[in-house]
Amino acid sequence: MLTRRQFLGTAAVGTATLLVWPKLTFAATGADTRFLFVLLRGGLDGLESVPPYGDPGYQAIRGALALSPSAAKPAHKLDSVFALHPSFNYAAQLYAQGQFMPVVAAAPPYWGRSHFQAQNCVENGTSKPDGSQTGWLNRCIASMPGVDGLACAAVMPLTMRGSAKVETWSPPLPTEVNPILLQRLQPLYAADTRLASPFARAVAQQNDSPVPESGIGMLASSKPGKKKQGGLPVMMGAAGTFMGKSDGPRVAFVEDEGWDTHANEAAIVTSKIAELDAGLKSFQQAMGGMWGRTILIVATEFGRTAHVNGTGGTDHGTGGSMFLAGGALHGGRVAGQWPGIGSGELYQNRDVHATTDFRSVFKGVLASHLGVSESLLASRVFPGSDGVAPIDGLVRSARAAA
Amino acid sequence: MGATGNAVTAAVNRFGLGAKPGDLAGAHDPRAWLETQLARGPDGAQFLAGLPTSIDYLRDEIQLFAIRREFKQGGRGRRDFLTGKMPGPPGDTKAAAAALKQALQPYRQEQRKDLLAEFSARIRIATGTATPFVERLVRFWSNHFAVSVDKFSARLFAAPMEREAIRPHVTGRFADMLLAVETHPAMLLYLDNVRSVGPDSRLGRRIAARLARDGDAGKGKAGGLNENLGREAMELHTVGVNGGYTQADVTEFSRALTGWSVAAKREFANGRQPDSAFVFRANAHEPGARRVLGKTFAEGGFEQGKAILDFLAHRPATARHLSLQLAQHFVSDDPPPALVDRMAKSYLDHDTDLAAVYRTLIESPEAWGSEARKFKTPQDFVTSALRAAQIDLQGRPQPVLGLLTTLGQPVFDPRSPAGFSDNSANWVDPDGLWKRVQAAEALSAHVASGGGEPLAFAQDILGPLLDEDTAQAIRRAESKRQAYATLFASPTFQWRV
Repeated sequence: MLTRRQFLGTAAVGTATLLVWPKLTFAATGADTRFLFVLLRGGLDGLESVPPYGDPGYQAIRGALALSPSAAKPAHKLDSVFALHPSFNYAAQLYAQGQFMPVVAAAPPYWGRSHFQAQNCVENGTSKPDGSQTGWLNRCIASMPGVDGLACAAVMPLTMRGSAKVETWSPPLPTEVNPILLQRLQPLYAADTRLASPFARAVAQQNDSPVPESGIGMLASSKPGKKKQGGLPVMMGAAGTFMGKSDGPRVAFVEDEGWDTHANEAAIVTSKIAELDAGLKSFQQAMGGMWGRTILIVATEFGRTAHVNGTGGTDHGTGGSMFLAGGALHGGRVAGQWPGIGSGELYQNRDVHATTDFRSVFKGVLASHLGVSESLLASRVFPGSDGVAPIDGLVRSARAAA
Repeated sequence: MGATGNAVTAAVNRFGLGAKPGDLAGAHDPRAWLETQLARGPDGAQFLAGLPTSIDYLRDEIQLFAIRREFKQGGRGRRDFLTGKMPGPPGDTKAAAAALKQALQPYRQEQRKDLLAEFSARIRIATGTATPFVERLVRFWSNHFAVSVDKFSARLFAAPMEREAIRPHVTGRFADMLLAVETHPAMLLYLDNVRSVGPDSRLGRRIAARLARDGDAGKGKAGGLNENLGREAMELHTVGVNGGYTQADVTEFSRALTGWSVAAKREFANGRQPDSAFVFRANAHEPGARRVLGKTFAEGGFEQGKAILDFLAHRPATARHLSLQLAQHFVSDDPPPALVDRMAKSYLDHDTDLAAVYRTLIESPEAWGSEARKFKTPQDFVTSALRAAQIDLQGRPQPVLGLLTTLGQPVFDPRSPAGFSDNSANWVDPDGLWKRVQAAEALSAHVASGGGEPLAFAQDILGPLLDEDTAQAIRRAESKRQAYATLFASPTFQWRV
C-alpha cells in the first residue's frame, strides 16, 4: 500500500495549479513582510521573565524567586539593570544579534486583573473587555487588501474574529487517512461548488506537510486522550512553515495556556519559558529566508504581583513583559520605561506599574512593518486609541530585507 | 452546487439532527412530522434523570471552598467562590500542598464524573431522540445564551442551565426562557453579575466606607457595578447590537440587576438546602427607579429587573433579532427578509410564544426552497454520524468530546458569550474539511461490525441526496468500514439540505 506522502505526491500533480494561499499578490510590491502574534494566556510574570536584577528593590521583594546573572543558575544579562530568565537560551542569542527585544512594564489599557476581561481587551484591541466582538488582528488584515490570516488554533480566537478571511490550523488527529479513500473523495468534492476549493487546498496542505517533523513526531508519541496536543514549539513551528512560503499568510496568531503561576512559580516558569524559547527557535527555523522580513510579538494579559505570595507564586498584577523578535526587528535592547519596584513605586502597592500601553507597540509594528496607515490604525484597528502613539523605530531599517 | 434535497430530507437534516435508520420514511409528511414534535416537546428525560441540580453543584463548590479555607491559615478569609478566586494552599511546603490535594481529590473526581455524565447524556439524547427538531432548538437556544466553560466559576453550570432553563421553555414563551436563563447560576456566574454591587446599596456603601477608612490597599475590593450581564442581555440575548440602546441603558439595566445572585455559604449553612439556586440579595441592590429604552421602572427589588427583562423580551427589535437568528439557523446564512418579518410578527402577536414562531417558519415556503441549505457545524457533523450509525458511547463520551474539540467546537466552550458562529464562512475551511475526513475514519471504526450492507445503509440515511457518484464510491470501498468512512466524509454528508 502506498503511504500517504507517496500518494499525495502523485495526486498533487493534478492540483498543482491550486495554490495553498491563493490571491496573494504582494511579492512585486516589496512589502512582503510577515507578522506573528503569540498570546500567552494566564499572565506571565514580568519580574521573572525579564528580572530587573539591577533594581535596588528587586532582591528584597522577590526573595526566593529572585533571579540574577550571578546566581547559580545565571539569568542572561542584557544590561546593568535587566536580564532574561535562564530558560531564554535561544532568545538570548537572538538578542545578541539584535533580533530580540523585551518591553518592560507593559499592559493592555484594562488594569482590572481578571484573566477573562484582560484577555478580551488584549484581543479586541479596545480599552474595554466588551469593547468589540471582533479582534484587532482581524481588523488589521481587513485593512490590508488581498491579505489572508492564519490562526493556529482549533477554535477561532477573538483576536482573529471578524470579517477578514482567516484560516485556522491545529495539529491533525492522529487518525491516518486511507489514501484510497482520499482518491475517491476528490472527484466528489470537485463537484461541490462551495467545497471544491477548500477541499483541494486541504489536500494540498497535507501534501505540503506544514507540520514540522518534530510536530508529527510529538503527536505520534503523545498518548491518546492526553489533553495537550502541540504546545508552543509545534504551533509556532507550524505557523513558521505556513508563513515561510513565498505565498504564505502574512499575518498569523498562536496561543498558549498555562502561565497562571499562583503557586510553585519557579518550576513552572522555568519549563514554560523553555517551551516559548523552543517555539522561537522552531519558528525561526521554519521561516527560513523569510525570517529577515518577520516580526513577532509575544504578549500576555497582565503581569503579576511584585511580592511573592504564600505559595511560592504570584497573583494577578498589572505591568508585565512583552517580547518582540524577528529578523526585521531593531532589537538587542530593552524597551519601555522602568517605573521601579521600590516602596511607593508599585501600582496600588502591589503590582509593577504599567508605563507602556500594548497598543502603542502593536500600532508601531503594524504601521512600520505591515504598512497599515496611522489613520486606519486609530479608527478601525484600535478604535479610540488616538491618544496612544505608535512606537517608532521598531523596524531594523526600512525594507532592508527587500 | 452539491446535493439538492427535498422536503423530507430538509425536515430530517436541516430541521432535525440528521437521519437515523428509518427517519426518512417516518417523515414522509415533513410538516406534520415537525408539528408533531412541537406538540410533544423535548424528550430524553430518561437520560437526564439522576443528574445533579444546580443547587447540588453550588453546594459542592461551597464545600470545596470550605476545605480550601481550612487549609489556608489566616488572612483572606473573606474570599469565597463568588469572587471567582480560590484561596491557595498554605505555605509552600510540599506536604501542605499534597494534603490539600488529597483532601480535594474526592471532590475533583466527583466533579469530573458529573461533567462526563452531563456530556454523555447530551450526546445520547442527540443520538437517540425521536424529537430531533426540538432537540436542535434546545441546542440553538443553548448557543444563543452561550455560557463558556473556559470560565472556571461557570464550568459546572452550562450543562444544567440547558436542562433547567432552556429545555422547559423551548416550545414555550421566550419571555419565560429569558427570565429562567438570566436567573440561572450559569449566567450569573459567567457574566459576573454575582459580583455586581450597587454603589448606593447597603453593601456598596459599606465597601465605600471601608475603602475610605483603610485606603486603597487592595483588600476586600469586591464591590461596584459590573455591566457584563446587563450589556450581553441586551446585545446578545434580546434586542441585539443594533437594538437602539445606549451606554446609559446598559448602565441603568445593570443597576437594576444588582443583587441578582446565587445561593452561597449562608444559604447552605447548618445543612440547610435552599429551594432555589437563585438568590436576590437586597443589600447589594441599587435603590431607585431605572430608565431603560425610554421607559421608567419603579423601584421594586427583584421585580424591577424582572419587569425590564419582560419589557426587553417584548421589544420589536428582540422579535427581529431572534427571528433573524432562527432563520439563519434553519434556512440559510442569508435568509429572505420577508420570512424574518413574518416570524417577528408572529412572535409579537403571540406574546413571545416560540412555538408560534416555529410554526410560522415551517409553514413558510421560503423554508423549503432550493436556496435553503446550511453547512453542518462540527457538532452537527458528529451528531449526524452518531445518529446514522446509532453509535452508543456506553457512558464514555471522551472520544467524541475530544473529536469535537479537535474539530473546533468543544462542548459548551465557545470562549465567548456570543456562542459559536452559525455562519458557514466560519466552518468551511481546508483544515476543518481535512479533520472531517480524519473524523470519518475514526467514526467508521465505531460502527457496529454487524452494521448493514453499506449502500443500503447510505440510501436509508441520505435518501434522494445519495447521488450516483457517491453511491459508486461507497460501492467500491474495500471494506465495510471504508464504505462508512466514505459516506461520512462525502461532501453530501457535510450539508443540511
